[in-house]
Amino acid sequence: MTQPLLADYFPILVFLVIAGGIAAAMVGGSLLVARQKPNPEKLSAYECGFEPFDDTRRRFDVRFYLVAILFIIFDLEVAFLFPWAVSLGGIGWFGFLSMVAFLGVLTVGFVYEWRKGALDWE
Amino acid sequence: MFVGAIFFPLLGACLSGFLGRWLGDKLAQWATVICMALAAVCGSLAFAHVAMDSQPATVPLLTWMDVGGLEISWALRYDTLSVVMVAMVTFISTLIHLYSVGYMSHDATPTRFFAYLSLFTFMMLMLVTADNLAQLFFGWEGVGLASYLLIGYWYDRESANRAAMKAFIVNRVGDVFFMLGLALTFFTFGSIEFDTIFPAVAQHANDRFAGLPAIELIGVLLFLGACGKSAQLGLHTWLPDAMEGPTPVSALIHAATMVTAGVFLMARMSPLMEYAPVALAIVTVVGASTALFAATIGCVQNDIKRIIAYSTCSQLGYMFFAAGVGAYQVSVFHLFTHAFFKALLFLGAGSVIHAMSDEQDIRKMGGIWTKIPVTYVVMWIGNLALAGIPFFAGYYSKDAILEAAYAAHSGVGAYAWVCGMLAAFLTAFYSWRLLILTFHGKPRADHHTMEHVHESPAVMLIPLLLLAVGAVLTGAVFAPFFVGEHAHEFWNGAIFNGEHNHILHAMHEVPEWVPLAPTVMGIAGIALAYVMYMAAPGLPTRLAQMFSARPQLVRRLPLIPAEGEEQQTEPNPGGLYGFLLKKWYFDELYDFLFVRPARRLAERFWKVGDARIIDGMPNGVASLAAAGARGAVRIQTGRVANYAFAMIIGLVLFVTLFLIGR
Amino acid sequence: MSWTLALPELVLACSGLVLLLAGVIPKQETFFPITMGAIGALLVTAVLVLGQGEGTALGGHYVADAFSGFMKILALGAAALGLLLSIDFNEKEGLGRFEFPVLVLFASLGAMVMISANDLMALYLGLELLSLPLYVIAAFNRDNARSSEAGLKYFVLGALASGLLLYGTTLVYGFAGTTNFDRLADAFSAAQGVSAGVIVGVVFVIAGLAFKVSAVPFHMWTPDVYEGAPTPVTAYFASAPKVAAIALLTRVLLGPFGDLAAQWQQVILLISFGSMILGSFAAIGQINLKRLMAYSSIGHVGYALMGLAVGSDTGLRGLLFYMAIYVFMNVGAFAVLVAMRRQGRAVEQVEDLAGLARTDLGMALWMAAFMFSMAGIPPLAGFFSKLYVFLAAVQGGFWTLAVVGVLTSVVSAYYYLRVVKVMFFDQPAGALDRAPASLTIVMAGTGLFTLLFGLFPAPLLAAAQAAAAALLG
Repeated sequence: MTQPLLADYFPILVFLVIAGGIAAAMVGGSLLVARQKPNPEKLSAYECGFEPFDDTRRRFDVRFYLVAILFIIFDLEVAFLFPWAVSLGGIGWFGFLSMVAFLGVLTVGFVYEWRKGALDWE
Repeated sequence: MFVGAIFFPLLGACLSGFLGRWLGDKLAQWATVICMALAAVCGSLAFAHVAMDSQPATVPLLTWMDVGGLEISWALRYDTLSVVMVAMVTFISTLIHLYSVGYMSHDATPTRFFAYLSLFTFMMLMLVTADNLAQLFFGWEGVGLASYLLIGYWYDRESANRAAMKAFIVNRVGDVFFMLGLALTFFTFGSIEFDTIFPAVAQHANDRFAGLPAIELIGVLLFLGACGKSAQLGLHTWLPDAMEGPTPVSALIHAATMVTAGVFLMARMSPLMEYAPVALAIVTVVGASTALFAATIGCVQNDIKRIIAYSTCSQLGYMFFAAGVGAYQVSVFHLFTHAFFKALLFLGAGSVIHAMSDEQDIRKMGGIWTKIPVTYVVMWIGNLALAGIPFFAGYYSKDAILEAAYAAHSGVGAYAWVCGMLAAFLTAFYSWRLLILTFHGKPRADHHTMEHVHESPAVMLIPLLLLAVGAVLTGAVFAPFFVGEHAHEFWNGAIFNGEHNHILHAMHEVPEWVPLAPTVMGIAGIALAYVMYMAAPGLPTRLAQMFSARPQLVRRLPLIPAEGEEQQTEPNPGGLYGFLLKKWYFDELYDFLFVRPARRLAERFWKVGDARIIDGMPNGVASLAAAGARGAVRIQTGRVANYAFAMIIGLVLFVTLFLIGR
Repeated sequence: MSWTLALPELVLACSGLVLLLAGVIPKQETFFPITMGAIGALLVTAVLVLGQGEGTALGGHYVADAFSGFMKILALGAAALGLLLSIDFNEKEGLGRFEFPVLVLFASLGAMVMISANDLMALYLGLELLSLPLYVIAAFNRDNARSSEAGLKYFVLGALASGLLLYGTTLVYGFAGTTNFDRLADAFSAAQGVSAGVIVGVVFVIAGLAFKVSAVPFHMWTPDVYEGAPTPVTAYFASAPKVAAIALLTRVLLGPFGDLAAQWQQVILLISFGSMILGSFAAIGQINLKRLMAYSSIGHVGYALMGLAVGSDTGLRGLLFYMAIYVFMNVGAFAVLVAMRRQGRAVEQVEDLAGLARTDLGMALWMAAFMFSMAGIPPLAGFFSKLYVFLAAVQGGFWTLAVVGVLTSVVSAYYYLRVVKVMFFDQPAGALDRAPASLTIVMAGTGLFTLLFGLFPAPLLAAAQAAAAALLG
């Protein structure tokens, strides 16, 4: 039982190995080749422009939040679109129209955001 | 047409009651009058359609309630019996609405009055067109409510409030019996729809309830209910007091319509009553006794409206004993004619009162017939009809009743006949006493009042004249239909007469002197009144003194008002005269038997039961509740964490409970 | 495709989208026309529901029957009335933004999906579609601290409740192997004993739904949110979502979990007891009318759940009947609350009603009618609704339930009558502003229903009967 199950996951193992290899190569390459001139700012973790270690109750611009939310929505949309596109042959017209309806709803939301000015930074 | 006759009055009531403030007094009044007039037109058309063309109909409205085996629906039952009532009620009510426009013109809140009046009419129509006992009871209670509102219309008068309460409470006593009858009907027949009950009576004729024949028991209970509404002996005390209401109310409710509801009930339930001979005998005896009893009191009363009230009571007695001997048709016929002439008398009395600046004591009237000739004439017509003088309406119906009583050939029939004859004599006597004291002789009112005596406006006179026409003609015109040769086609099965009940036939075959006797009695009564009040005016006082224990207290005519007399109660001269004057001491008896013990009991309950025990418990419970409330509110901290915690605790509790209880 | 059965929902969804676009595209504020459009859409949907066929659709996720029709009409009616209440209030409070009606519309769509759900997945979708707009409109007056607080509290606790519900769903799915109601019912009726996991799952599902109907002990959010949210929003909260959640609870418990009745009955009993008792006692001390109504609604849910606890045909009929009457008198009472303004400022304390009978008799009379009806005084509508659930409890042999119900309704009569007393016998606290016509119409409409219902209970009873029969099969 275990043998075929594990065999099914073999591609993932391959993927992991390659990904790990590339990552190790990049980090190792920069360690070997690049010049090292560390300072505290450079050594701290990257946090999208914030101090990595700070009071959590800090104010930040609500526009970040808005952009993040909007991003997630459309990101998820794409996440839905991939499996849909792959299986379109199997799900037929009903599947196709369902996604069209979904996209239609999203478009309405998009129009709303646009008109409300949620997409303008200023 | 059928629906319109019933619901136009309701529309009028709503218009006047809810929108009266916006419509203004004038518009609201006339709106109700017009609604009533439309209803009357519908009613008359319905009468022509149902009674004359013999096409009874039932108009289903909708289902009211459906509880267990009891299914009640709203429906309008139109057969000859109800259509007679509908036509009569709408017609008279229209006239009374019209009359009230004049009579209530000085009143502060006429829209309220008209709303009540129309509401009453609607309820009465609901009552008469009921398709089942529950709907009938709805109308029955509705008219009770409306009459309470109308009697107590002048709510700033103490006496009006008392009278309204008395009417309501006494009626309630009757209603208890009605409800018991209703319950027993349902128990016996499993239904309260007329269409289901009536064919089933024969099958249930031998049913017994608690050892008593069920049908008899139902009959007696319903009759006792009818007694309350129709002011029969024992439960009559509210009717004279009800005269505290405005006069059009007295005419509509306490003469023409509501009080006849009891008679209507008897006629409606005729298929059942026919199987209850004992109940019928009781009806006859009580009715006959009431007829005589009320007439005796009527002879000595001094308030013009009270005299007519007792006369109503007496006439209702006639109707009941007619029903009691099985002549329901005759009973309804008298109801029909009586409505016209009694409404006429009341409205005439109202016109007199109006003319005399709200004076109601006939001892303070007199000598005004030249000043208000129209009122005088219509009062004559009304009294002639009431006394049963030939060719006026009352003659046909009252004679028929007495013939029926005679033709019954039974003990109770004979008793009823004797009482009826005596009452006929007394009726004529007190009618003319009223007429003579009110209109003739020397004026006994003070100078100021006499100057203001005036004929009523046209809006009041027109109804009077129309009613007068009715009082003259209804008897002659409708007698062939109600009791004469066309009776069978006319009633068309709306009233049921048992197999052995040939009373309608038999009453036409009585000896020849029987139909004449009531007329003779009536004329004799009139003659006596003439002798006593026109020819020898001193005689009544002397007679009164002769039959009093304390003759010095009997007042002489003309009555001279002493200073501050209005506040004094009338002295009681005792003896037979006092007995009559105090209405056979019924009020005092009830006061002693029921009111005072009830009050003592109530006081006991109040002081011991209520103040100590009942109040003690709730006060304790209330403080507990308040403490509980404080505790419950304390949980409500406002912190989300606490709320979430409570939810989780509840969840854990439930899961535990589930797993244990599995 | 069987999706034509779901036509009312589709129409409502499309009209919601169209209204959203129509509201946002013009440059000027479009609150009033959009509200009217939303009310129209709700009414059209209600008409479609009336003409809806019966059956299941969308792969068994969606079911339409007499029960769903009855509840949907109620929910849609409540939503339409709620919008009507909001017009004047929102304009005066500066909340006249077109998003409000659109959100209410989507919440109603969620309510409809919930009512028609025939699958645990559809249930959750509907519930979230209902909840998310509610979170937003609770905080609709976003510059007001109390309103934002209400929205936030509702959101956090609602998320917790959703989590419980989802967890319950997964448990049930894990142990029964399906989420479809029909197949769940088959699974439970076939199995001899039910595993503990399913039972725990059912309790979690009940908890999630009980939160929505604000039944004890999941009621804690109710007073705070009712008080904080703008009054028309509170009116909506107290009606349509309750109807939907009660409907769903009923369908879930009597449908797929019908064979587990012995287990869940205890829980519903406890919830019902707790709600009745808390609803009647905690309201006694309240001085804020909206808070008072919050406790009152908790109590009413307790009475309604009594019918579910009994579980019989009459019990279910009583429950449906109760919800129908509750919605109308509740909306009526809130119409009065919405109309309470003094010199343009909204007021909401009980004392603010003092002497209302002398300043505005009409409004005082309607309010008195609603209060008497809520207290269950005959012959008003509220009396009949209580009567039927009590009757069902007695017939089912649940004597304690009926006795507690009667006792708590006596206690609750105290605070209802206190409102009446304040209106009629206290010294006037200054006249309230004249109620706008839209509110007067709602008051009069619901008031007449409350007053005259006793005369013609038959049609509603028959509808409730048919709905109950559809569910119990």
